Amino acid sequence: MKRYELIVIGAGPAGLSAAIEAAKSGMEVIVFDENSRPGGQLFKQIHKFFGSKEHRAKVRGFKIGEELLEEAKKVKVKVVLSATVMGIFREKEITVMIDGEVNHFKADKIIVATGASENMVTFKGWTLPGVIGAGAAQTMMNLHGLRPGKKVLMLGSGNVGLVVSYQLKQAGCDVVAIIDAAPKIGGYGVHAAKVARLGVPFYLSNTIIEAQGEDCVNGVVIGEVDNKWNIIPGTEKHFDVDTICLAVGLSPMSQLLKAAGCDMEDSPKKGGLVPICDEYGETSIEGIFAAGDVSSIEEASSAMIEGRMAGAAAAKCAGYVEENSFIKRYHELEEALGQLRQGMFGPRSKGKDLKYTDEGIELSTSLLKNGYIDESEITNFPGVTINAKGIHPVIECTQNIPCNPCQDACINHCIKIGCNITSLPIVDENVKCTGCGMCVASCSGQAIFLVNETYEQGYATVTIPYEFLPLPKAGDMGIGLDRSGAEVCEVQVLEVRSAKPMDHTNLLTMKVPVDMAMKARFIKMKGAS
Amino acid sequence: MNGVIDMRIEEHPILEKIEKGKLVSFELDGKVMSGYEDEPIAVALRAAGVMAHRHTSKYDKPRGIFCAIGRCTDCVMVVDGKPNVRTCVTPLKEGMKVQTQYGVSAKK
Repeated sequence: MKRYELIVIGAGPAGLSAAIEAAKSGMEVIVFDENSRPGGQLFKQIHKFFGSKEHRAKVRGFKIGEELLEEAKKVKVKVVLSATVMGIFREKEITVMIDGEVNHFKADKIIVATGASENMVTFKGWTLPGVIGAGAAQTMMNLHGLRPGKKVLMLGSGNVGLVVSYQLKQAGCDVVAIIDAAPKIGGYGVHAAKVARLGVPFYLSNTIIEAQGEDCVNGVVIGEVDNKWNIIPGTEKHFDVDTICLAVGLSPMSQLLKAAGCDMEDSPKKGGLVPICDEYGETSIEGIFAAGDVSSIEEASSAMIEGRMAGAAAAKCAGYVEENSFIKRYHELEEALGQLRQGMFGPRSKGKDLKYTDEGIELSTSLLKNGYIDESEITNFPGVTINAKGIHPVIECTQNIPCNPCQDACINHCIKIGCNITSLPIVDENVKCTGCGMCVASCSGQAIFLVNETYEQGYATVTIPYEFLPLPKAGDMGIGLDRSGAEVCEVQVLEVRSAKPMDHTNLLTMKVPVDMAMKARFIKMKGAS
Repeated sequence: MNGVIDMRIEEHPILEKIEKGKLVSFELDGKVMSGYEDEPIAVALRAAGVMAHRHTSKYDKPRGIFCAIGRCTDCVMVVDGKPNVRTCVTPLKEGMKVQTQYGVSAKK
């Protein structure tokens, strides 16, 4: 039986990070993963991540995955794929199924980073082909280049439902609606606004009554629910769809830890049954650690830091790292993790009905109901300036989310967030905007626009982030869409800028009637659906 | 085939060109189809417009792709005579014989 100093189970963001951290300090590390590719779900994440520089903010998930693999290779982490860990037994012995054979390994330390699985909900017809998990949609389109369907209904308005809806649109699918049984949108407002301005409608307090079809889905009926979650008769709506995507949360895959005998808790805040861990991620069994979604459902960015913590702690326990340098490293990681957990979507705010931002600004209620901010509320926020002379950024960032790449994007430092990473960005009107647009491309929430109300007599320009194909060209005519996706005016494309640092977020500048400067936020090209 | 053109993403705004293996042919219930080598069997089927992978034993209800990552086992089929093969994580190879699964076996 081969023995390793550290066995990591799961080669996703948490597992790879844990393995790298431990291997860096000299530990001999092996990682087992049941999938044929490493990276967990990172390679399906094609959107830019939130956070600050140290959290790899504004880098797309799959790029972070590539960087992790590169780093793992450099520090000689051994990753064994298509290897299913079946059990963790006494004295840290594990059994692994590889090529139809059961192999035994023994470890001094084990880090379990098995991630999470998607939840599902049942309704009439839910077993029909065409009802899929949102993760399945991501896998098909972002890994295999296949549209999961032509017309899709998304159930769930959390970040997964919102992000996958946007990705479906990028893949050229039609998203007929995003629905949620809850009365308000669950995910980031900026993610919702991104799909709302494409014209995707939100139906909140709605659920699926029935998926229709004999051999596969050809329609769906939704209905409004009352405050006891019962369908209100007469509110039914029908959509022609071939695909229904379920994005109704994730559950930790903690079975291995439970079977190993770790003390567990059923925690709704953490997403289900999770191991009870200390601050370093060590479970009740000495030398067995947990990191990432298996111990609490959070973002991939947090999972990577938790992985680093567990890796560092395992290395310390094994004698590879001195107490003092471990404490120093742990505090660095703790601070980075603490930042990510701040704000109105952090664990401390979960379930709270917040009314104001940390700055004391009233939160937009229209945003949480419709998916976009009502124009009357938009000027309440410090990043939104109107009628400035010449070109200037309009930052429609209205919620306290841990994210700050915009403040480093401006070479003249006209955007300020300050040391509190969740603060809303402020535009300094005394600093001249050069119109470079780096802030537009740096915003993972695509909430920054450049507006010039004094472009020419009667006309303004609006520069928007644009991540769709085909890319329009200067001179093309289109239709301006407002934040709700409604058509508001004719627009002309003046310029489309693409540059490597913008990483596929193109900057499209359109000429709009001057009274549309604060309305037009997207463009529909003539002839496009 | 219409489905092939419609469902494949030729060019993606973020991923640009999605790398594919060479085009290979395989059989579904005796019918010759094509897909790209080493992509999951399920992806080749979906691209060709095939939705039902199996029918349940008791009520003969159709089932297809659900999780696409090998967890839920809803997409299992008979592949080269072997039943219960998870088509969403099994790479497609030239000449594979794929059969719709009824219960735990192919139609006799």
